[in-house]
Amino acid sequence: MNNRIRELRARHNLTQDELARKAGVRRETIVFLEQGKYNPSLKLAYDVSKVFGLMIEEVFIFEEESN
Amino acid sequence: MKKAILAIVVSLLVLTTTVIWIMYAGSVSWGEFLQYLVIFVLVIFGFFAAWRRLTSAKRGEPAEDELSKKVVQKAAALSYFISIYLWLVIMYLTDKLKVETDIMFGWGILGMAVIFALSWVFFHFRGIRNE
Repeated sequence: MNNRIRELRARHNLTQDELARKAGVRRETIVFLEQGKYNPSLKLAYDVSKVFGLMIEEVFIFEEESN
Repeated sequence: MKKAILAIVVSLLVLTTTVIWIMYAGSVSWGEFLQYLVIFVLVIFGFFAAWRRLTSAKRGEPAEDELSKKVVQKAAALSYFISIYLWLVIMYLTDKLKVETDIMFGWGILGMAVIFALSWVFFHFRGIRNE
């Protein structure tokens, strides 16, 4: 799963700390999300999207794995 | 905050007990020296865990969130799995080297703690993907 968190954070002029506080998570979680090292739960995806005022699918891009 | 204080108290208790143990040990063998070293590493890990929680509280972040909980869960599951093999090795060595039972348990418990700490570090830096 890819996401546009870094891009949206820059557009909204938010630091990782600020986004973490607004989404109610630790800063490390935002770092891991940006690096693609963690796929969030539906609730966290919703909370992060809500900070940017966007829908979940506008922030998180799900790519189906080809087997 | 409560868990941070608990981690500090437990680490201090372990440290105090180890210092008393060292004071009354007399001559120290290599095996005992290695045990002290492992205990000190675990105490440092305990203080580090407490420090992480306290700095998070200072920054206004939650002490735990879904990622940190998942990292602990995954580390616990992996360390449990590896610990089974650790006990198997310890039992085999105990039989071969005729080690006393209390020493065997000491190494087993220390080994489990080290495996958990390493598993936590592994998942903390690698992250949890595709779940």
